[in-house]
Amino acid sequence: MDSESNDMENNSSADIERKIEKTIYQAALALDKNNWADWFKLCDDSFFYSITSFSPEISKDMTYFSGDKKELIGLMEMLPKHNTDHSPLHRHTSVYTIDVSDDGKTAESVSSVVIYQNMLDGINSHLDSGESRLFVIGKYHDKFLINDGVPKFINRETKIDNRRLDKGSHWPL
Amino acid sequence: MPPRNHKNWLKVPKIEHISSACYNNHSIYEQEIEHIFAKVWVPMCHFSEMSNDGDYRSTQIAHQNVVAVNTKGIVKVFLCPSIDRPAGNGFDTSGLKELHSELKHGGMVWTTLDPNPTQSVEEWTCGAFDCIADAIDSEDMEVFHYHKAVIDTNYKLWHDTNSEFYHDFMHYFNRVSGFNDEYFARKNIPFDNGHVNVSSFTVNYEEYDGFEDRGELSFPNLPPNQWYMVDLFPGFNFNLRGSAYRSDTVTPLGPNKVLIEFRGYGLKKDTPEERQTRIKHHNSIWGPFGRNLHEDLIGVAGQGTTMREGTEARNILHGRHENSTIHDEVGMRHYYEAWGKFLGVSPANPLGLATDDMIAAE
Repeated sequence: MDSESNDMENNSSADIERKIEKTIYQAALALDKNNWADWFKLCDDSFFYSITSFSPEISKDMTYFSGDKKELIGLMEMLPKHNTDHSPLHRHTSVYTIDVSDDGKTAESVSSVVIYQNMLDGINSHLDSGESRLFVIGKYHDKFLINDGVPKFINRETKIDNRRLDKGSHWPL
Repeated sequence: MPPRNHKNWLKVPKIEHISSACYNNHSIYEQEIEHIFAKVWVPMCHFSEMSNDGDYRSTQIAHQNVVAVNTKGIVKVFLCPSIDRPAGNGFDTSGLKELHSELKHGGMVWTTLDPNPTQSVEEWTCGAFDCIADAIDSEDMEVFHYHKAVIDTNYKLWHDTNSEFYHDFMHYFNRVSGFNDEYFARKNIPFDNGHVNVSSFTVNYEEYDGFEDRGELSFPNLPPNQWYMVDLFPGFNFNLRGSAYRSDTVTPLGPNKVLIEFRGYGLKKDTPEERQTRIKHHNSIWGPFGRNLHEDLIGVAGQGTTMREGTEARNILHGRHENSTIHDEVGMRHYYEAWGKFLGVSPANPLGLATDDMIAAE
Protein backbone atom coordinates (compact mmCIF):
# COMPACT_ATOMS: atom_id res chain seq x y z
CA MET A 1 0.00 0.00 0.00
CA ASP A 2 1.55 3.37 -1.01
CA SER A 3 1.56 6.32 1.36
CA GLU A 4 -1.22 8.14 -0.47
CA SER A 5 -3.66 5.26 -0.20
CA ASN A 6 -2.54 4.77 3.39
CA ASP A 7 -3.51 8.38 4.11
CA MET A 8 -6.84 7.82 2.44
CA GLU A 9 -7.37 4.74 4.57
CA ASN A 10 -6.44 6.67 7.79
CA ASN A 11 -8.70 9.52 6.85
CA SER A 12 -11.69 7.40 5.85
CA SER A 13 -14.99 8.54 7.21
CA ALA A 14 -15.11 5.69 9.75
CA ASP A 15 -11.63 6.52 10.96
CA ILE A 16 -12.49 10.22 11.31
CA GLU A 17 -15.62 9.27 13.23
CA ARG A 18 -13.55 7.19 15.65
CA LYS A 19 -11.15 10.09 16.13
CA ILE A 20 -14.01 12.51 16.75
CA GLU A 21 -15.56 10.17 19.29
CA LYS A 22 -12.19 9.85 21.03
CA THR A 23 -11.78 13.65 21.03
CA ILE A 24 -15.19 14.12 22.70
CA TYR A 25 -14.28 11.61 25.41
CA GLN A 26 -10.83 13.17 25.89
CA ALA A 27 -12.58 16.51 26.37
CA ALA A 28 -14.84 14.97 29.05
CA LEU A 29 -11.82 13.56 30.88
CA ALA A 30 -9.94 16.87 30.72
CA LEU A 31 -12.97 18.84 31.92
CA ASP A 32 -13.61 16.35 34.75
CA LYS A 33 -10.04 16.97 35.94
CA ASN A 34 -10.35 20.77 35.51
CA ASN A 35 -7.40 20.35 33.17
CA TRP A 36 -8.28 23.37 31.06
CA ALA A 37 -4.97 23.27 29.17
CA ASP A 38 -5.62 19.76 27.86
CA TRP A 39 -9.16 20.77 26.91
CA PHE A 40 -7.93 23.80 25.00
CA LYS A 41 -5.41 21.60 23.13
CA LEU A 42 -8.41 19.81 21.62
CA CYS A 43 -9.86 23.12 20.42
CA ASP A 44 -9.00 25.09 17.28
CA ASP A 45 -8.05 28.75 17.76
CA SER A 46 -11.46 29.67 16.30
CA PHE A 47 -13.25 27.70 19.04
CA PHE A 48 -16.45 29.18 20.47
CA TYR A 49 -18.21 27.75 23.52
CA SER A 50 -21.69 28.34 24.91
CA ILE A 51 -24.13 26.98 27.48
CA THR A 52 -27.72 27.41 26.36
CA SER A 53 -31.20 26.37 27.41
CA PHE A 54 -34.81 26.92 26.46
CA SER A 55 -37.09 28.41 29.09
CA PRO A 56 -40.79 27.53 28.87
CA GLU A 57 -41.24 30.08 31.66
CA ILE A 58 -40.33 33.01 29.42
CA SER A 59 -40.74 31.17 26.08
CA LYS A 60 -37.22 31.98 24.96
CA ASP A 61 -33.99 30.35 23.91
CA MET A 62 -31.39 31.58 26.36
CA THR A 63 -27.62 31.75 26.52
CA TYR A 64 -26.29 31.25 30.04
CA PHE A 65 -22.60 31.54 29.18
CA SER A 66 -20.48 32.07 26.07
CA GLY A 67 -16.97 32.92 24.99
CA ASP A 68 -14.29 32.33 22.39
CA LYS A 69 -11.09 30.44 23.13
CA LYS A 70 -9.16 33.54 24.13
CA GLU A 71 -11.90 34.64 26.54
CA LEU A 72 -12.18 31.15 28.02
CA ILE A 73 -8.43 30.90 28.61
CA GLY A 74 -8.55 34.29 30.36
CA LEU A 75 -11.51 33.29 32.54
CA MET A 76 -9.88 30.00 33.56
CA GLU A 77 -6.62 31.78 34.40
CA MET A 78 -8.57 34.10 36.73
CA LEU A 79 -10.28 31.27 38.62
CA PRO A 80 -7.71 31.08 41.46
CA LYS A 81 -8.67 34.64 42.40
CA HIS A 82 -12.34 33.69 42.79
CA ASN A 83 -14.36 31.77 45.36
CA THR A 84 -15.59 28.64 43.62
CA ASP A 85 -17.43 25.54 44.76
CA HIS A 86 -14.78 22.89 44.13
CA SER A 87 -17.15 19.94 44.38
CA PRO A 88 -15.95 17.88 41.38
CA LEU A 89 -18.16 17.49 38.31
CA HIS A 90 -18.34 14.16 36.47
CA ARG A 91 -19.53 14.12 32.88
CA HIS A 92 -21.14 10.95 31.55
CA THR A 93 -21.11 11.35 27.79
CA SER A 94 -22.52 9.17 25.02
CA VAL A 95 -21.87 10.11 21.42
CA TYR A 96 -25.11 9.72 19.49
CA THR A 97 -24.39 11.01 15.98
CA ILE A 98 -21.37 12.10 13.94
CA ASP A 99 -21.81 13.59 10.47
CA VAL A 100 -18.66 14.18 8.45
CA SER A 101 -18.95 16.60 5.53
CA ASP A 102 -18.53 15.28 2.00
CA ASP A 103 -15.13 16.91 1.63
CA GLY A 104 -13.99 15.45 4.97
CA LYS A 105 -12.87 18.84 6.29
CA THR A 106 -15.58 19.43 8.89
CA ALA A 107 -17.94 17.37 11.02
CA GLU A 108 -20.82 17.81 13.42
CA SER A 109 -21.82 15.60 16.31
CA VAL A 110 -24.49 15.32 18.98
CA SER A 111 -23.74 13.68 22.34
CA SER A 112 -25.82 13.18 25.41
CA VAL A 113 -24.27 14.48 28.63
CA VAL A 114 -25.28 13.92 32.24
CA ILE A 115 -23.21 15.81 34.81
CA TYR A 116 -23.06 14.75 38.43
CA GLN A 117 -21.64 16.83 41.25
CA ASN A 118 -19.76 15.00 43.97
CA MET A 119 -20.29 17.06 47.10
CA LEU A 120 -17.29 18.29 49.04
CA ASP A 121 -19.56 19.95 51.56
CA GLY A 122 -23.22 20.67 52.14
CA ILE A 123 -25.75 21.74 54.71
CA ASN A 124 -24.28 19.03 56.93
CA SER A 125 -20.88 18.00 55.64
CA HIS A 126 -20.83 14.94 57.92
CA LEU A 127 -23.79 13.62 55.93
CA ASP A 128 -23.46 15.33 52.55
CA SER A 129 -19.77 15.12 51.69
CA GLY A 130 -19.09 12.32 49.24
CA GLU A 131 -22.67 12.28 47.99
CA SER A 132 -23.17 12.61 44.24
CA ARG A 133 -26.02 14.78 43.03
CA LEU A 134 -27.38 15.24 39.57
CA PHE A 135 -26.15 18.65 38.42
CA VAL A 136 -27.41 19.07 34.85
CA ILE A 137 -28.57 17.04 31.87
CA GLY A 138 -28.34 18.01 28.22
CA LYS A 139 -26.59 17.53 24.94
CA TYR A 140 -23.30 18.58 23.43
CA HIS A 141 -23.75 19.97 19.92
CA ASP A 142 -20.19 19.96 18.58
CA LYS A 143 -18.58 21.14 15.36
CA PHE A 144 -15.10 20.10 14.24
CA LEU A 145 -12.46 21.23 11.82
CA ILE A 146 -10.42 18.33 10.42
CA ASN A 147 -6.83 19.03 9.36
CA ASP A 148 -4.50 16.20 8.37
CA GLY A 149 -6.93 13.72 9.84
CA VAL A 150 -6.97 15.45 13.25
CA PRO A 151 -10.36 16.79 14.42
CA LYS A 152 -10.43 19.87 16.61
CA PHE A 153 -13.43 21.53 18.21
CA ILE A 154 -14.48 24.77 16.54
CA ASN A 155 -17.81 25.05 18.35
CA ARG A 156 -19.47 23.45 21.36
CA GLU A 157 -23.00 24.33 22.39
CA THR A 158 -23.81 22.69 25.71
CA LYS A 159 -27.58 22.73 25.53
CA ILE A 160 -28.94 21.92 28.97
CA ASP A 161 -32.50 21.12 29.97
CA ASN A 162 -32.06 22.74 33.40
CA ARG A 163 -33.29 26.16 34.37
CA ARG A 164 -32.85 25.32 38.03
CA LEU A 165 -29.11 25.62 38.60
CA ASP A 166 -28.87 26.29 42.34
CA LYS A 167 -25.39 27.59 43.17
CA GLY A 168 -24.24 27.38 39.54
CA SER A 169 -20.54 27.09 38.75
CA HIS A 170 -17.48 28.94 37.50
CA TRP A 171 -16.53 25.98 35.28
CA PRO A 172 -17.44 25.16 31.69
CA LEU A 173 -19.67 22.08 31.52
CA MET B 1 -9.78 44.48 74.73
CA PRO B 2 -9.53 40.89 75.99
CA PRO B 3 -10.87 38.18 73.67
CA ARG B 4 -14.51 37.36 74.25
CA ASN B 5 -15.25 34.01 75.86
CA HIS B 6 -18.46 32.09 75.19
CA LYS B 7 -20.41 33.90 77.90
CA ASN B 8 -19.37 37.30 76.59
CA TRP B 9 -20.11 36.19 73.05
CA LEU B 10 -23.76 35.49 73.92
CA LYS B 11 -24.22 38.63 76.03
CA VAL B 12 -26.66 41.19 74.68
CA PRO B 13 -24.51 43.62 72.64
CA LYS B 14 -24.68 47.31 73.41
CA ILE B 15 -25.19 48.16 69.73
CA GLU B 16 -27.90 47.39 67.20
CA HIS B 17 -28.21 43.68 66.55
CA ILE B 18 -30.63 40.93 65.62
CA SER B 19 -30.82 37.31 66.71
CA SER B 20 -29.96 34.44 64.39
CA ALA B 21 -33.32 32.97 65.46
CA CYS B 22 -34.81 35.29 62.82
CA TYR B 23 -33.23 32.99 60.25
CA ASN B 24 -33.94 29.49 61.46
CA ASN B 25 -37.13 29.17 63.44
CA HIS B 26 -40.09 27.34 61.93
CA SER B 27 -42.69 29.29 63.88
CA ILE B 28 -41.20 32.57 62.65
CA TYR B 29 -41.20 31.24 59.10
CA GLU B 30 -44.92 30.42 59.38
CA GLN B 31 -45.61 33.91 60.75
CA GLU B 32 -43.69 35.45 57.87
CA ILE B 33 -45.80 33.56 55.35
CA GLU B 34 -49.03 34.63 57.05
CA HIS B 35 -48.20 38.19 58.06
CA ILE B 36 -45.75 39.28 55.37
CA PHE B 37 -45.89 37.27 52.13
CA ALA B 38 -49.69 36.93 52.21
CA LYS B 39 -50.01 40.69 52.68
CA VAL B 40 -47.46 42.51 50.53
CA TRP B 41 -47.31 43.32 46.82
CA VAL B 42 -45.25 40.67 45.00
CA PRO B 43 -43.61 41.23 41.57
CA MET B 44 -44.61 37.80 40.21
CA CYS B 45 -43.36 38.07 36.61
CA HIS B 46 -42.75 40.50 33.75
CA PHE B 47 -45.30 41.48 31.13
CA SER B 48 -42.98 40.38 28.29
CA GLU B 49 -43.31 36.78 29.53
CA MET B 50 -47.02 36.89 28.69
CA SER B 51 -47.34 39.57 26.02
CA ASN B 52 -49.76 37.75 23.65
CA ASP B 53 -53.50 37.63 24.10
CA GLY B 54 -54.30 34.50 26.10
CA ASP B 55 -50.78 34.03 27.53
CA TYR B 56 -50.58 33.04 31.17
CA ARG B 57 -47.83 32.75 33.77
CA SER B 58 -48.07 31.00 37.12
CA THR B 59 -46.30 31.24 40.46
CA GLN B 60 -46.81 30.45 44.12
CA ILE B 61 -47.18 33.07 46.83
CA ALA B 62 -47.51 32.11 50.50
CA HIS B 63 -48.30 28.49 49.52
CA GLN B 64 -51.11 29.67 47.18
CA ASN B 65 -51.07 28.96 43.44
CA VAL B 66 -51.49 32.14 41.45
CA VAL B 67 -51.88 32.67 37.71
CA ALA B 68 -51.59 35.89 35.69
CA VAL B 69 -53.53 35.94 32.42
CA ASN B 70 -53.27 38.36 29.50
CA THR B 71 -56.72 39.14 28.16
CA LYS B 72 -56.42 41.44 25.15
CA GLY B 73 -53.46 43.26 26.70
CA ILE B 74 -55.00 43.55 30.16
CA VAL B 75 -53.35 41.44 32.85
CA LYS B 76 -55.54 39.91 35.53
CA VAL B 77 -54.32 37.67 38.34
CA PHE B 78 -56.28 34.83 39.93
CA LEU B 79 -56.00 32.38 42.79
CA CYS B 80 -55.87 28.96 41.25
CA PRO B 81 -56.36 25.63 43.07
CA SER B 82 -53.92 23.79 40.82
CA ILE B 83 -51.80 24.52 37.81
CA ASP B 84 -49.42 22.16 36.05
CA ARG B 85 -47.42 24.52 33.84
CA PRO B 86 -45.30 27.60 34.50
CA ALA B 87 -46.60 29.33 31.37
CA GLY B 88 -48.71 28.81 28.28
CA ASN B 89 -51.59 30.15 26.25
CA GLY B 90 -55.27 29.59 26.93
CA PHE B 91 -56.33 29.35 30.56
CA ASP B 92 -59.90 29.06 31.76
CA THR B 93 -60.35 31.52 34.61
CA SER B 94 -64.07 31.01 35.11
CA GLY B 95 -64.91 30.52 38.76
CA LEU B 96 -61.48 31.64 39.93
CA LYS B 97 -61.09 34.37 42.52
CA GLU B 98 -59.43 37.46 41.08
CA LEU B 99 -56.66 39.14 43.03
CA HIS B 100 -55.62 42.76 43.03
CA SER B 101 -52.94 43.34 40.41
CA GLU B 102 -51.03 46.15 38.73
CA LEU B 103 -48.49 46.58 35.94
CA LYS B 104 -45.80 48.84 37.36
CA HIS B 105 -42.09 49.68 37.58
CA GLY B 106 -40.69 48.61 34.23
CA GLY B 107 -43.55 46.29 33.24
CA MET B 108 -43.54 43.99 36.28
CA VAL B 109 -46.80 42.21 37.07
CA TRP B 110 -47.59 42.86 40.74
CA THR B 111 -50.18 41.07 42.80
CA THR B 112 -51.13 40.60 46.42
CA LEU B 113 -53.10 37.95 48.27
CA ASP B 114 -54.45 40.70 50.51
CA PRO B 115 -58.14 41.08 49.52
CA ASN B 116 -58.16 44.67 50.79
CA PRO B 117 -54.74 46.24 50.20
CA THR B 118 -54.42 49.60 51.88
CA GLN B 119 -51.78 50.82 49.44
CA SER B 120 -51.32 50.80 45.65
CA VAL B 121 -48.02 49.46 44.28
CA GLU B 122 -46.86 53.07 43.89
CA GLU B 123 -47.70 53.77 47.53
CA TRP B 124 -46.17 50.47 48.69
CA THR B 125 -42.83 51.06 46.93
CA CYS B 126 -43.00 54.72 48.04
CA GLY B 127 -40.20 56.16 45.93
CA ALA B 128 -37.68 53.30 46.07
CA PHE B 129 -37.77 53.00 42.26
CA ASP B 130 -37.42 56.74 41.58
CA CYS B 131 -33.65 56.48 41.06
CA ILE B 132 -34.09 54.14 38.06
CA ALA B 133 -37.58 55.12 36.87
CA ASP B 134 -36.29 57.09 33.85
CA ALA B 135 -34.19 54.10 32.80
CA ILE B 136 -36.78 51.32 33.18
CA ASP B 137 -39.99 53.16 32.33
CA SER B 138 -38.99 55.13 29.22
CA GLU B 139 -38.95 52.12 26.87
CA ASP B 140 -40.61 48.70 26.97
CA MET B 141 -38.32 46.08 28.45
CA GLU B 142 -38.09 42.39 27.59
CA VAL B 143 -36.92 39.41 29.65
CA PHE B 144 -34.05 37.50 28.02
CA HIS B 145 -32.87 35.44 30.98
CA TYR B 146 -34.55 33.18 33.51
CA HIS B 147 -33.10 30.66 35.91
CA LYS B 148 -33.79 29.62 39.45
CA ALA B 149 -31.92 28.38 42.47
CA VAL B 150 -33.09 26.43 45.50
CA ILE B 151 -30.65 27.17 48.28
CA ASP B 152 -30.48 25.81 51.82
CA THR B 153 -30.61 29.19 53.48
CA ASN B 154 -33.15 31.66 54.84
CA TYR B 155 -34.68 34.03 52.29
CA LYS B 156 -33.61 37.06 54.35
CA LEU B 157 -29.97 36.05 54.06
CA TRP B 158 -30.33 36.42 50.29
CA HIS B 159 -31.94 39.82 50.75
CA ASP B 160 -29.21 40.75 53.25
CA THR B 161 -26.53 39.96 50.69
CA ASN B 162 -28.22 42.41 48.35
CA SER B 163 -28.42 44.96 51.18
CA GLU B 164 -25.06 44.93 52.95
CA PHE B 165 -22.20 45.65 50.62
CA TYR B 166 -19.26 44.56 52.74
CA HIS B 167 -19.66 41.11 51.19
CA ASP B 168 -18.25 42.84 48.08
CA PHE B 169 -14.85 41.95 49.55
CA MET B 170 -15.72 38.34 48.61
CA HIS B 171 -15.88 39.29 44.92
CA TYR B 172 -12.52 39.61 43.22
CA PHE B 173 -14.32 41.29 40.32
CA ASN B 174 -15.73 44.03 42.57
CA ARG B 175 -12.45 44.51 44.40
CA VAL B 176 -10.63 45.35 41.17
CA SER B 177 -13.41 47.08 39.25
CA GLY B 178 -15.09 49.07 41.97
CA PHE B 179 -13.19 49.76 45.15
CA ASN B 180 -12.45 53.46 44.79
CA ASP B 181 -13.54 56.66 46.52
CA GLU B 182 -16.71 56.86 44.45
CA TYR B 183 -17.70 53.33 45.49
CA PHE B 184 -17.14 53.94 49.20
CA ALA B 185 -19.23 57.13 48.96
CA ARG B 186 -22.33 55.31 47.63
CA LYS B 187 -25.32 55.96 49.86
CA ASN B 188 -27.90 53.60 51.32
CA ILE B 189 -31.24 55.39 51.18
CA PRO B 190 -34.14 54.01 53.25
CA PHE B 191 -37.79 54.30 52.19
CA ASP B 192 -40.96 53.52 54.09
CA ASN B 193 -42.12 49.89 54.31
CA GLY B 194 -38.57 48.57 54.74
CA HIS B 195 -37.29 49.34 51.25
CA VAL B 196 -33.79 50.63 50.54
CA ASN B 197 -31.93 51.72 47.47
CA VAL B 198 -28.24 52.13 46.89
CA SER B 199 -26.95 55.06 44.88
CA SER B 200 -24.79 54.59 41.83
CA PHE B 201 -21.14 54.89 40.91
CA THR B 202 -19.04 54.16 37.83
CA VAL B 203 -17.83 50.57 37.48
CA ASN B 204 -14.42 50.20 35.82
CA TYR B 205 -15.03 46.91 33.99
CA GLU B 206 -11.74 47.14 32.11
CA GLU B 207 -9.83 46.69 35.38
CA TYR B 208 -10.72 42.98 35.31
CA ASP B 209 -8.32 41.06 33.03
CA GLY B 210 -10.09 40.15 29.79
CA PHE B 211 -13.06 42.49 30.32
CA GLU B 212 -13.62 45.69 28.37
CA ASP B 213 -15.30 48.98 29.13
CA ARG B 214 -19.09 48.65 28.77
CA GLY B 215 -19.96 52.25 28.13
CA GLU B 216 -21.08 51.49 24.57
CA LEU B 217 -24.51 50.30 25.74
CA SER B 218 -26.69 51.47 28.58
CA PHE B 219 -30.35 52.07 29.44
CA PRO B 220 -32.37 55.19 28.56
CA ASN B 221 -31.30 58.24 30.58
CA LEU B 222 -28.63 56.20 32.37
CA PRO B 223 -25.01 57.37 32.05
CA PRO B 224 -22.61 54.59 31.02
CA ASN B 225 -21.33 51.94 33.47
CA GLN B 226 -23.63 52.98 36.34
CA TRP B 227 -24.90 50.54 38.96
CA TYR B 228 -28.10 51.16 40.94
CA MET B 229 -29.77 48.73 43.33
CA VAL B 230 -33.32 48.66 44.71
CA ASP B 231 -33.94 46.31 47.66
CA LEU B 232 -37.65 45.90 48.11
CA PHE B 233 -39.11 44.48 51.30
CA PRO B 234 -39.41 41.58 52.04
CA GLY B 235 -37.13 39.95 49.44
CA PHE B 236 -37.23 41.41 45.94
CA ASN B 237 -34.21 42.98 44.35
CA PHE B 238 -33.82 45.12 41.22
CA ASN B 239 -30.34 45.71 39.93
CA LEU B 240 -29.42 48.04 37.07
CA ARG B 241 -25.80 47.61 36.05
CA GLY B 242 -24.77 49.44 32.87
CA SER B 243 -26.25 47.51 29.96
CA ALA B 244 -28.32 44.91 31.84
CA TYR B 245 -31.16 44.90 34.34
CA ARG B 246 -31.80 42.06 36.76
CA SER B 247 -34.52 41.13 39.21
CA ASP B 248 -34.47 38.53 42.00
CA THR B 249 -37.69 37.17 43.46
CA VAL B 250 -37.68 34.98 46.56
CA THR B 251 -40.19 32.30 47.52
CA PRO B 252 -39.45 31.03 51.04
CA LEU B 253 -39.77 27.23 51.21
CA GLY B 254 -38.94 26.85 54.89
CA PRO B 255 -36.85 28.57 57.55
CA ASN B 256 -33.74 27.22 55.85
CA LYS B 257 -34.72 26.87 52.21
CA VAL B 258 -35.52 29.43 49.56
CA LEU B 259 -36.35 29.48 45.86
CA ILE B 260 -34.76 32.45 44.10
CA GLU B 261 -35.83 33.32 40.56
CA PHE B 262 -33.40 35.38 38.50
CA ARG B 263 -34.40 37.39 35.45
CA GLY B 264 -32.33 39.46 33.04
CA TYR B 265 -33.80 42.24 30.91
CA GLY B 266 -32.96 44.31 27.85
CA LEU B 267 -35.00 46.76 25.82
CA LYS B 268 -37.70 45.43 23.52
CA LYS B 269 -36.33 47.61 20.71
CA ASP B 270 -32.79 46.15 20.96
CA THR B 271 -31.12 45.21 17.70
CA PRO B 272 -29.89 41.58 17.64
CA GLU B 273 -26.35 42.87 18.23
CA GLU B 274 -27.42 45.01 21.18
CA ARG B 275 -29.32 42.10 22.71
CA GLN B 276 -26.30 39.80 22.38
CA THR B 277 -24.13 42.42 24.08
CA ARG B 278 -26.61 42.80 26.96
CA ILE B 279 -26.85 39.02 27.40
CA LYS B 280 -23.08 38.66 27.45
CA HIS B 281 -22.63 41.50 29.91
CA HIS B 282 -25.43 40.12 32.12
CA ASN B 283 -24.01 36.59 32.10
CA SER B 284 -20.44 37.60 32.83
CA ILE B 285 -21.40 38.83 36.32
CA TRP B 286 -24.90 37.61 37.08
CA GLY B 287 -25.39 34.44 35.03
CA PRO B 288 -25.40 31.01 36.71
CA PHE B 289 -21.85 30.60 35.39
CA GLY B 290 -20.88 34.25 35.94
CA ARG B 291 -18.19 35.68 38.19
CA ASN B 292 -20.31 37.06 41.08
CA LEU B 293 -23.61 35.19 41.37
CA HIS B 294 -21.90 31.85 42.11
CA GLU B 295 -19.86 33.53 44.86
CA ASP B 296 -22.94 35.19 46.38
CA LEU B 297 -24.80 31.87 46.45
CA ILE B 298 -21.86 30.06 48.04
CA GLY B 299 -21.82 32.81 50.66
CA VAL B 300 -25.49 32.57 51.64
CA ALA B 301 -25.43 28.77 51.53
CA GLY B 302 -22.57 28.93 54.04
CA GLN B 303 -24.55 31.32 56.24
CA GLY B 304 -27.51 28.95 56.04
CA THR B 305 -25.28 26.08 57.13
CA THR B 306 -23.91 27.88 60.17
CA MET B 307 -27.29 29.26 61.28
CA ARG B 308 -29.52 26.28 60.54
CA GLU B 309 -32.20 25.13 62.95
CA GLY B 310 -30.76 23.65 66.11
CA THR B 311 -27.65 25.82 66.16
CA GLU B 312 -27.05 28.04 69.17
CA ALA B 313 -28.66 31.46 68.76
CA ARG B 314 -26.15 34.24 68.33
CA ASN B 315 -26.23 37.99 67.90
CA ILE B 316 -25.72 39.50 64.47
CA LEU B 317 -24.41 43.03 64.76
CA HIS B 318 -25.86 45.84 62.69
CA GLY B 319 -23.82 48.57 64.35
CA ARG B 320 -21.88 50.17 61.51
CA HIS B 321 -22.69 53.87 61.28
CA GLU B 322 -20.73 55.47 58.45
CA ASN B 323 -22.86 58.40 57.33
CA SER B 324 -25.13 56.03 55.36
CA THR B 325 -22.28 55.20 52.97
CA ILE B 326 -21.88 51.87 51.27
CA HIS B 327 -20.88 49.67 54.23
CA ASP B 328 -23.08 51.48 56.77
CA GLU B 329 -25.69 49.00 58.03
CA VAL B 330 -28.49 51.55 57.87
CA GLY B 331 -30.24 49.44 55.20
CA MET B 332 -30.14 46.32 57.36
CA ARG B 333 -31.39 48.20 60.41
CA HIS B 334 -34.19 49.75 58.35
CA TYR B 335 -35.28 46.40 56.91
CA TYR B 336 -35.38 44.58 60.25
CA GLU B 337 -37.27 47.43 61.88
CA ALA B 338 -40.02 46.95 59.28
CA TRP B 339 -39.79 43.16 59.59
CA GLY B 340 -40.25 43.36 63.36
CA LYS B 341 -43.30 45.60 62.95
CA PHE B 342 -44.94 43.17 60.50
CA LEU B 343 -44.51 40.27 62.92
CA GLY B 344 -44.95 42.22 66.15
CA VAL B 345 -41.61 40.97 67.49
CA SER B 346 -38.19 42.36 68.29
CA PRO B 347 -35.63 41.12 65.73
CA ALA B 348 -33.12 41.09 68.61
CA ASN B 349 -35.27 38.56 70.45
CA PRO B 350 -37.96 37.33 68.06
CA LEU B 351 -38.99 34.40 70.25
CA GLY B 352 -39.37 36.63 73.32
CA LEU B 353 -36.99 34.46 75.30
CA ALA B 354 -35.60 35.57 78.64
CA THR B 355 -31.93 36.44 78.22
CA ASP B 356 -29.16 36.15 80.79
CA ASP B 357 -29.11 39.95 81.01
CA MET B 358 -32.84 40.03 81.81
CA ILE B 359 -32.44 37.32 84.41
CA ALA B 360 -29.50 39.18 85.96
CA ALA B 361 -31.56 42.39 86.05
CA GLU B 362 -34.30 40.60 87.96
